[in-house]
Amino acid sequence: MLKYFVSRMLMLIPMILIISFIVFIGLEFAPADPLTAMISPDQMSSMTLEDMEAMRESLGLNAPMLVRYGRWLVNLLKGDMGFSIVTGTPITNIISNLLPSTIKLTFAALLVSTFMGLLFGILSAIKSNSAIDYISSVLGVIGISMPEFFIGILALLAFAIRLRWFPAQGRTDVGLGAFGSIKYLVLPACSLGLVLAAALMRYTRNAMLDVLNKDYVKTARAKGLPEWKVYYKHAFRNSLMPISVLICLRLPMLIGGSVVIEQVFGYAGIGSRLLTAINAGDYQLVLVIVLLLSIVSLLASVFIDLLTALLDPRVRLGGDIGGAK
Amino acid sequence: MNNQNEARDVLLDLKNIKKYYPIQAGIFRKTVGHVKAVDDVSLYVKKGETLGLVGESGCGKTTLGKCIVRLHRPTSGELRYKFGNKYRNLLSLNKKESLDARKKIQMVFQDPYSSLNPVKNIFTAFDEPLKIHGWSNADERKDRIAELLESVNLRADYMYRYPNEFSGGQRQRICIARAMCVNPELIVCDEPVSALDVSIQAQVLNLMKDLQKELGLTYVFIAHDLSVVEYMSDRIAVMYLGKVVELASAKRLYYHFEHPYTEALLSAIPIPKIGGEKRQRIVLEGDVPSPANPPAGCRFHTRCHKSMDICKTQAPTFRPLKNDPDHMVACHLADTADA
Amino acid sequence: MATALVTKQKRIKKSSLAKRNLQKLLNNKLAVLGLFIVVTMILLCIAAPLLTPYDPGKISLFERDSAPGGEHIFGTDKLGRDVFARILYGGRISILIGLSGALGGMILGVVIGSLCGFFGGILDAIFVKVAELVSIVPQLLLVLILSTIIGPGVPNLIYVFIFTGWVATFRLVRGRFFSLREESFVEACRAFGIGSLSIAFKHILPNCLGPVAVQLTLNTAGFILQEAALSFLGLGVPTGVPTWGNIMNAAKEIITITESPWLWIPTGVAIALFVLGVNFFGDGLRDVLDPSQL
Repeated sequence: MLKYFVSRMLMLIPMILIISFIVFIGLEFAPADPLTAMISPDQMSSMTLEDMEAMRESLGLNAPMLVRYGRWLVNLLKGDMGFSIVTGTPITNIISNLLPSTIKLTFAALLVSTFMGLLFGILSAIKSNSAIDYISSVLGVIGISMPEFFIGILALLAFAIRLRWFPAQGRTDVGLGAFGSIKYLVLPACSLGLVLAAALMRYTRNAMLDVLNKDYVKTARAKGLPEWKVYYKHAFRNSLMPISVLICLRLPMLIGGSVVIEQVFGYAGIGSRLLTAINAGDYQLVLVIVLLLSIVSLLASVFIDLLTALLDPRVRLGGDIGGAK
Repeated sequence: MNNQNEARDVLLDLKNIKKYYPIQAGIFRKTVGHVKAVDDVSLYVKKGETLGLVGESGCGKTTLGKCIVRLHRPTSGELRYKFGNKYRNLLSLNKKESLDARKKIQMVFQDPYSSLNPVKNIFTAFDEPLKIHGWSNADERKDRIAELLESVNLRADYMYRYPNEFSGGQRQRICIARAMCVNPELIVCDEPVSALDVSIQAQVLNLMKDLQKELGLTYVFIAHDLSVVEYMSDRIAVMYLGKVVELASAKRLYYHFEHPYTEALLSAIPIPKIGGEKRQRIVLEGDVPSPANPPAGCRFHTRCHKSMDICKTQAPTFRPLKNDPDHMVACHLADTADA
Repeated sequence: MATALVTKQKRIKKSSLAKRNLQKLLNNKLAVLGLFIVVTMILLCIAAPLLTPYDPGKISLFERDSAPGGEHIFGTDKLGRDVFARILYGGRISILIGLSGALGGMILGVVIGSLCGFFGGILDAIFVKVAELVSIVPQLLLVLILSTIIGPGVPNLIYVFIFTGWVATFRLVRGRFFSLREESFVEACRAFGIGSLSIAFKHILPNCLGPVAVQLTLNTAGFILQEAALSFLGLGVPTGVPTWGNIMNAAKEIITITESPWLWIPTGVAIALFVLGVNFFGDGLRDVLDPSQL
């Protein structure tokens, strides 16, 4: 188990390096010139070419690409992420202000969707072909067919603007305790989690039905195990593996979706900051945010993977589940 | 040797066939050992006969069969096959000759359910090999397919059906017909009936015997079921852990076996005999050792009920018996010519 | 004799696998409903000039922000453009992007997947790593970065979707190849001397196409949703081009959400309905092509 854990962790390092390098190269070819995005057009017209060169030099924009990449990576490891070349604020500050709230949002969405997805998935598998199965499968397909932001806007209109149960815009942590900020979290987290919940529900139902048809479940029933024990000990435990694979697979989508949802609700998170940064050509900041979000999604999927491994004796006892083959 | 082969009318002569699979470990895929699936097997198959290959699962009989059909390339050794009146090594043929040789040797597989492509109808399954092997006329091909299906007692119009419309026995008959479509001389049958119901087995076996008589086919018949092998074979080779331990005519093997392993295998066949004496059943102890790490000396000594000291250190050679040169055994106990 | 038999049997209807599966598909009510929705919406979008007299790009400052009813079924937007016309013409582009992105990704995934699955080795190891990388970066972020790099525009967005969309098909095809290449029917082909490429593409690949078709529907649905999300953020297709996402872009402001719901509700419903149709069809397809029933 420990070996499995360590090997999973070690595998992360090259992945993170490669991702950061690809993102870095990619943004090199971005059409936006960071210098033009920094200086107002008025100032630009009054500047000579030499001034602009000097400006580039002082910002370190003229060094060879690999050098800049290396320099940036070393700084990153030191905890110094550089400055946003548009606003001049240290990126570390921006990140430490905004990343936690995005993680909070995604985590809340993950909780909501896992809970709802598993609950309704299991219910409709147990009561398959009943009304609850039928209704939830119809809702499930509708759920995966709606654009996230459309769900968000509808929720915003209904619960925040019309019913006024929740605040319509923003997230103000200042002066508010944990409970105060939770009301800003409910709508975005639910809208974000709904799509995953629908997907998860469909998947759980199929995985459970699959397992419920297996001979060992029949054996368990035949030997007189109470139904709930059959469901919990045999069916659910065995369908957990494919379910966790799906969650891992869907995690990047959830994090990507948070960018959209933050925009809808004006939720001050890293996602909405990313959009501003892209529009401004603030490549330093974009780079860091994409890298961090990728790392978050990587770490989260490793975490879920390990959690499942803990529940799976085949992995716990050092077998090879071999994702590659 | 060639003269001897001529005299015996040998169709295929296997010489020191070895098939080793490397075991790789670590990040750099270093080879740390070999699984010796087939280890130094020499056999010959006479024209028109059926050579049975028996052994427990994992003894290498299927691997040997697939080497003969060249689905696996042996690690070393020679497969000498008689083309016209010349013997050629199948492993050193050029591309064109190789394709031609594929026409001569075909295979029937163990699992009739995976032997036919589920998305292709029977016609297509036959049509492509025919096309490759020189049937250029589409109508002739169709006639040929119809003829083949009828020869295995199926209706000609079944050719437009898909595999899922057939039972296991029907499928295996289709597979036999498919193997025969290119007019092979030798067919390797890899446990062709073991996946079928007992009631269907006899039907398929009899069909195979009839086809052999009619077309002068040569079979290499692989099975783990001794009674099936006895029914089908002229000669039988017994394999244990990648090696042939005994080879004799089917009749002789069943009554004058020499190797303790053969004895143990045969003692497992139930013989219905009213009032007959009760035969002693020899139960082999333990599991088959790993072919990656076979025991030293005689490979069978770990489970042999007649094991002696010499067996643990010295591997017996595969030699003919003194009183019957066609009966070959690899055992220290056997009364062999040069012992 | 055989010839006579065959010619006699010629009249017997050939049972074609495709025909049988189509029959099964048509018996599946949800699949038919899905297909009906998808086809109808595509037809409506293609026939847009017949259904509405308005030009989706025509700005009419006198009719800004007018509510539905009268001449404009779904009203007009802030620049006075007819919303109904924009949804129809926008559908053309949104569906085009989704379908061609998914198709391109499918072709790429099938080709790479079959080559890797059949030949294995270094080629396979490299692509498995590449696929892992592409799938671990949140797809929306990847699309975001790529579309900032190569710039906005309909073809560029399609390229981006192809680049991100091949992974699922690749995995699927590769996996099927790994299990199928050990099957006896493949060995039978090899015993006949049929060439490797022919075995890979003519014998193994057809066995993968069912799941690939299902994946195609999933990707189409996914890409249409992603195009919408990207354009909603203002990062997909240039704002001048009407697509479903671009029309929804207006709903970024609270005032539009509350005061002009006709700007975004019909479009959102159109997206959801189309994707729903695709998903229904995909579900039905999955049931029909379930390999265990083949």
